[in-house]
Amino acid sequence: MLLIPSLKSKTKKSEVGQIADPEDFYIPLDGYRNVMTPLVEIGNQVEKYQLLAACDGLFAASIHAPVSGIVKGTFNLNGKQFLHLQNDFRNRETLAAVIAMEEITQEQFAERLFEYGIEGAGGSRFPTGLKFKKNETPIKTIIVNGAECEPYLSADYALMKHHTAELLRAAVLIKKVLGAEQIVFAIEKQNKELEKLLLRSARENEVKINVKILPDSYPQGGELQVIKSVTGKELKKGSIPAQHGILVNNVGTLWSIYNAFFHSRPTIERIVTISGNRCANTGNYKVKIGTPIAHLLRETGNEWNPDEQMIILGGAMMGKAVSSPLLPIHKGSGGLLVMQKLRLESDNCIKCGACVDVCPQKLMPLEFVRFNQSGNTASLKDFNLLDCIECGACAYVCPSDVPLMENIFRGKDKLLKNA
Amino acid sequence: MPNMLLKASINPYLKARFSTVQIVMLDVVIALLPLVYVAWLAYGMMALQVIGVAVAAAMLADVIFSLIFLGKKDTLLDGSAVVTGLLLAFTLSPATPLYIVVFGSFSAILFGKIVWGGLGKNRFNPALVGREFMSVFFASTMSSSGIWKNNDLINTSSLHLFENSDTVLSNYLEGIFFKTSGALGEYSAICLVLGGVYLMLRNRISWHIPLSLLGALMLMLWLFGNDDVSFSTGGVLLGAIFMATDMPSSPTTKYGKLYYGMMIGITIYIFIIGGCRQEYMSYAILMMNGFSHQISLLFQPRVWGQKIDRKAKLEDVFMLTLKILAVSSAILTLYYYELIHYLVYIFVIYLIFKFNYSFSKQVDNTI
Repeated sequence: MLLIPSLKSKTKKSEVGQIADPEDFYIPLDGYRNVMTPLVEIGNQVEKYQLLAACDGLFAASIHAPVSGIVKGTFNLNGKQFLHLQNDFRNRETLAAVIAMEEITQEQFAERLFEYGIEGAGGSRFPTGLKFKKNETPIKTIIVNGAECEPYLSADYALMKHHTAELLRAAVLIKKVLGAEQIVFAIEKQNKELEKLLLRSARENEVKINVKILPDSYPQGGELQVIKSVTGKELKKGSIPAQHGILVNNVGTLWSIYNAFFHSRPTIERIVTISGNRCANTGNYKVKIGTPIAHLLRETGNEWNPDEQMIILGGAMMGKAVSSPLLPIHKGSGGLLVMQKLRLESDNCIKCGACVDVCPQKLMPLEFVRFNQSGNTASLKDFNLLDCIECGACAYVCPSDVPLMENIFRGKDKLLKNA
Repeated sequence: MPNMLLKASINPYLKARFSTVQIVMLDVVIALLPLVYVAWLAYGMMALQVIGVAVAAAMLADVIFSLIFLGKKDTLLDGSAVVTGLLLAFTLSPATPLYIVVFGSFSAILFGKIVWGGLGKNRFNPALVGREFMSVFFASTMSSSGIWKNNDLINTSSLHLFENSDTVLSNYLEGIFFKTSGALGEYSAICLVLGGVYLMLRNRISWHIPLSLLGALMLMLWLFGNDDVSFSTGGVLLGAIFMATDMPSSPTTKYGKLYYGMMIGITIYIFIIGGCRQEYMSYAILMMNGFSHQISLLFQPRVWGQKIDRKAKLEDVFMLTLKILAVSSAILTLYYYELIHYLVYIFVIYLIFKFNYSFSKQVDNTI
């Protein structure tokens, strides 16, 4: 079990600030496992909340205009498509009619989640609507995942602290739609002070919830780990929680659900933690989807200096280093970190076994390196490489900086190609 | 090939603080320092000379051989040569001639580490490899009574910590604190245990190997009587805490470590009752070193959300145990017929062959 010293104190106490809207938005047209097709053309005037792009298929998603403005076209960056929207700063809105929630069925609810472009806010960007598709096992337990195990991030914390009542209302709605038995808010021990807040708010709103305090270990926020901590069920990677009567939603997702069903607002913004060990001004901010990273850095007084720093979209453990300041915030970005560059050389593995000890999936990362380098794909499979959740705990503890994650990614590629 | 070494900029972008190879080695050195002090108390400058020469020779050998065979210049910085030198010295008598100590350090580094491809790639504990080379190539000196019976050389024979009482208990306690018999690292059971506790607290070793080793050994002694069995408590502790837990040559998984320690304990007993007077510890650990990777893989943790086939696993473990017992009796037979040195010759030839054909080509691989 891995304990990472918390670095949340940098932003935990900060209020949720608002970042001024940029002039140009670059709306990501990729989703969980698909690409969206734009529904607007160059030169089109769009209004805030207007549907910009959608896609059909099972892993569908849609995206809406964060502001009113003019569509300038699409472009490709790092192999991904983006829609360029120029802000006209007039803030003209278009909103759908408020949904009558009394008679909404589970199917309709799921349908609406797609329509409102709601994706998993924890980072996966899994279309939330898919979790609400009907299945044989009725959902018993709704877990609200407030375990934000990434060391720098406090966006979920800020959300739970400042929007407690709204999250509760969304949770109650889900419970009603699914006919579930209980709502469990799962929070980490380091955020224990939220328990009081949640329980008080629940009392005031006459809602019944449970709060489960989880250990501060990493990666506690992973879906499988949360499910184990809350229900005691150890689900194999790839299994569907709904089939075990469990539904897990990130607090950020809940916030989107609240905005969608109580205010008819599609997801156009989220809370992002701006932090990192080389970050000049840290804090939590409401940021519109599609805001370029360069704008965020400028607004918070940080510089883009690729020679000395790395800019990470997401958390320090599972985020992605960004290659261009034009890349935007997407629905899964909980953080934007300015980090010191790491050394990229490795020493020899000394077989300390630390990677094996900390692996949450109980795998043997050092052996994956050996098997990958010797091209032994059969053993990669036998030793369950595909069960790896890519949390990076092994590489975090490795005293020799062995390229564990690189070999894991490459090994997975090989396995998926062979399959 | 070299870019295989290089990490790409992939997550995580954060590193555990104080987690580098140097700090791991530094911790081991810190844990061993009390033993250096105890050795100095017992034999004075003589002890320090052996320890100092062993460490200096190991460092020198590391620089020279790394440059020649691996083409690497900065291996000395990782600190592993210091650890090897210290551990080797701790298995020696304070009266060991210094030129033999130099020979031991050089063979420990060369055949224990470098020809395998450098730090971390060795399958056998370098200090024990060095020691075996010494006892094979300087057999008469290393086992002579002149080296091991040296009461006249002792500086401080007792610390008199419990002067006020002269009971059996106080004698026993004093024996644990300080007892000058055997090799340089064996004089203080307390310091050995303290070093072990320090390493456990720092998460450098886990309790699995020392405890299962000592537990298995004690269980064997208790089950099969211990009238005619004599061994050095200090030696066993040194082996259990510092030698058997050597990272590259021991298993990486928890249950693997438990099994590994247990099997070392059992083989120690086999070697002791088989008539090994001094080398039982080295033989047991070196032999199990050879099985360590196999044990790691066999005892892989239960993957999250999966079930294991207990019956198949048990069968595998049973077969492995049989294999280990067969190998230990083979070694005992070789020992009985005084053929162990041929084993060392074969080891050297095998290593040279292996280095030429594969190890030297994988120097840049991290694993």
